[in-house]
Amino acid sequence: MEDLIEFALDLALKMGASYAEARYQENDGMNFSLKNGELQGVGVTKTSGIGVRVLLNGGMGFASTNLLDKDAIRSAVESAVHLAKSASRVRKEPVEFSEEEFHVVKYEVGMKKDFRNAGFEEKMEYLKRIEEEVLGTGIQVPMRYLAYSDWVEHRIFANSEGAYVESKIPRVDVMYNLVVVEDGQMEQAPFVSTAFTGGLERIEEAKPWERARKDVEVLKDLITRGKKPPEGTVDVVIAPEVSGIAVHESVGHPYESDRIFGREAAQAGESFVKPDMLGERIGSDAVTVIEDPTLPGSWGFYLYDDEGVKARPRYLIRDGIITEFLLNREYAKKLGTKSNAAARAVNYDREPIVRMANTYLAPGDHSFEELVEGVKHGVLIKSFNEWNIDDRRFQQRYIGREAYLIENGEIKNPVRRPILEITTRALWSSVDAVSKEMEFYPGTCGKGEPMQGVPVWMGGAYARLRDITLRR
Amino acid sequence: MFDINKKILDSARRMGFGDVVVISHDDERKQIRFANGEITIAKNWYARRTEIFVERDKRLAGTEITSYEDSHIESVLRNLYRLTESMEKREDYYGIAEGPFEYVDIEDTYDSRVLEVDPVDHVEAAINATGLERVAGVLYVDHPRTYLSTSNGVEAEDEGTGIEISIRAFKDDLASGHATWSSRTLSRFKPEKAGEKAGMIANMVENPKLGDEGKFDVIFDPLAIGNLLSMVGMFTSVMAVEAGFSFLLNKLGKKVASDNFTLRDIGNLPNGYGTRKFDDEGVPTGNTAIIENGVLRTYLFNHSYAKKYNMENTANAGVLMPHPWNLYVEPGDFKEVEIFDVPRAIYVTNIWYTRFQNYVAGDFSTIPRDGIFLVEHGEIKGAIKNIRISDNIQRLLSSVDAIGSDVHQIHWWECEIPVHVPYIRVRDVGITRATK
Repeated sequence: MEDLIEFALDLALKMGASYAEARYQENDGMNFSLKNGELQGVGVTKTSGIGVRVLLNGGMGFASTNLLDKDAIRSAVESAVHLAKSASRVRKEPVEFSEEEFHVVKYEVGMKKDFRNAGFEEKMEYLKRIEEEVLGTGIQVPMRYLAYSDWVEHRIFANSEGAYVESKIPRVDVMYNLVVVEDGQMEQAPFVSTAFTGGLERIEEAKPWERARKDVEVLKDLITRGKKPPEGTVDVVIAPEVSGIAVHESVGHPYESDRIFGREAAQAGESFVKPDMLGERIGSDAVTVIEDPTLPGSWGFYLYDDEGVKARPRYLIRDGIITEFLLNREYAKKLGTKSNAAARAVNYDREPIVRMANTYLAPGDHSFEELVEGVKHGVLIKSFNEWNIDDRRFQQRYIGREAYLIENGEIKNPVRRPILEITTRALWSSVDAVSKEMEFYPGTCGKGEPMQGVPVWMGGAYARLRDITLRR
Repeated sequence: MFDINKKILDSARRMGFGDVVVISHDDERKQIRFANGEITIAKNWYARRTEIFVERDKRLAGTEITSYEDSHIESVLRNLYRLTESMEKREDYYGIAEGPFEYVDIEDTYDSRVLEVDPVDHVEAAINATGLERVAGVLYVDHPRTYLSTSNGVEAEDEGTGIEISIRAFKDDLASGHATWSSRTLSRFKPEKAGEKAGMIANMVENPKLGDEGKFDVIFDPLAIGNLLSMVGMFTSVMAVEAGFSFLLNKLGKKVASDNFTLRDIGNLPNGYGTRKFDDEGVPTGNTAIIENGVLRTYLFNHSYAKKYNMENTANAGVLMPHPWNLYVEPGDFKEVEIFDVPRAIYVTNIWYTRFQNYVAGDFSTIPRDGIFLVEHGEIKGAIKNIRISDNIQRLLSSVDAIGSDVHQIHWWECEIPVHVPYIRVRDVGITRATK
């Protein structure tokens, strides 16, 4: 494979490219699903190919092929070069990349229990355990969709500036959708995922079957004992699943430099954040938001991005102040700085674009109990179903799934569907304290065209928000 | 690629598999992306790949291959065979469709001239038509070729072309318009029309005010309602219904929309971006009324699910998951000006980020983006911003009070399944906004 990559880079430069990169990726894995107890079928994943990206005359071209021979690679390189030339016809200023320090490096995430050596039946046991736990509650769960998937991503990246990064990252994911029916009413826990980089040991430690059992018990409790959220202004404690989606949507996304500069305008949109807002206050002193691809075992894990730049933690907000954007080489150059390794491509046939990895609300100095004790009248929102945000990332909404009333510092009865509908500035300015405890939740972040769903973690600390009007 | 298909099919049958489906693809796709009035990247994809689906005594497995040496094919099939040995039966599997079938060419699905265009010329034409500087979007040129062989006597081939553009024009940060145009042939491709509309909407936005919350009649532009119906389309698959991802559960034969609303899936629609001659089992695609005059007539089925439900096969395989081809809303008899002729309404030109609190109950919200306008008696009375549509999908479909007479094809980043839909007006739609 190294020969083909070298061939691609040499040919691109010979054809006049000022920059060239080639990225091989092979995905190798298994997936299956269980619908209402019936195995639907088993899929074996094995895809591979090479993507080539070049700069020429200030235009950017990209081509990919899944045929791994010299003729196909030559054709892809010729195509990328030709397209870059065409693109340069409609440029006001050239696309340029920041200067970076590159490495020749190989890394691999280990698996204590390698899923490549495990049989189908062993993996199937995870879904069966979820079935058993859920049905064992005696609660009516007539719709159950459970899915397992694992795969190893093998990447080789090289560019014309000396980078060579080879990585092998194994991923494993167990997901469920459960619909509980009680007293003619229906509540749902959709797309609940337990996912890691690593081997089966991660799933066995996390025990998604226990979470599934608890979820159906919570949904039943919600139907039978749930009350409307309180009226008027209250305090709200959001748990890591909710603070996680909130930092992802209203901090991570608007700090993506390609959105800030309008490159995603016709798809995922732009950003209320502008380049001159670095140093501006966006939240209370209690709010620090970190983006860190290097967390071991995380769903968004990587050590080098898909432009070959070494990853590090990025402080997007520190003590309420905007401190850093997510950058690839193109936008680092525009801002006169260096990339912070946010370029990701989901596969060989996608261009690397600016993405999050693991975004979290940094821990504070309160315990979770202290946060709750400080609430006279409020709501704890532990998990959510519906959520969305406008395409400038300024007004968002999260609807609680598991939520409880808090009275005089004590957690009381379940609350049905509290709706937090709030602007980004108001959300982060309302935080008066965050917890020491942290949790992380996996997700698939959608962006790019064609769509690139990349694995991310979201989470961090619990946060207490003061003076919020919840919709009911 | 039928020789490859045959090799795989023969090997699989020799090995002892029952139903076998082999689908080879030979696809080429070009993309030009642009933003701020300049091209950000130009791309080309080429992929040759073969999907394999096998069944052995009601045990189903699948994979995809990209290299075709005999030894590799044998090894892949042997692995699948071993896998099926450790699997449990899927008791509700009833096989694949029995062929062979006859196919007819579908009008306006192939035009070799599409493959010869310089896509940059069309991008420039669309950008210029907006009349604005800050313009973003994407143009695709597609050339898919599909070769299907099954163990039930099917051998079918489809070659298509397509060219489409999605364009968003900005007058300023809060004044934008979006439009799309998709076509399978060059003569029907009008990128400048999309540019004009995007520019026109952007120019209509003047000092948008924070929108009020409450119940409003909403006039959905075809782009906006297309995005929403694309999602509804996935809920019509019987697989989504059984898996707890559809509000259509237990509603066959029941009223789920207003009398004037008929939603079809048309797999053989001329010029449809999702059109193909046959489904993944080789059944010729056709025209299925999913919701007819407000009544849910059918889910989307493949052969096995149709047997399970004792219903007619709608030719929507996916062997594992039936899916729509082109959704089509029957036009009404309202002219565009008549749709807007109401005492008070909100005109929503685009939406995105539709999410459900409960898929089975249908409770959802979605966010209008680009121009949002207050309308009174057919006149635009001003632009608004920062609102959210918060409602129930069945209630919304049951409150359609006017459907336009002209059908527009919508297919872009936020509308995965092509939707052919007119302007639609809905009564009393829930509108909310941030409380802080």
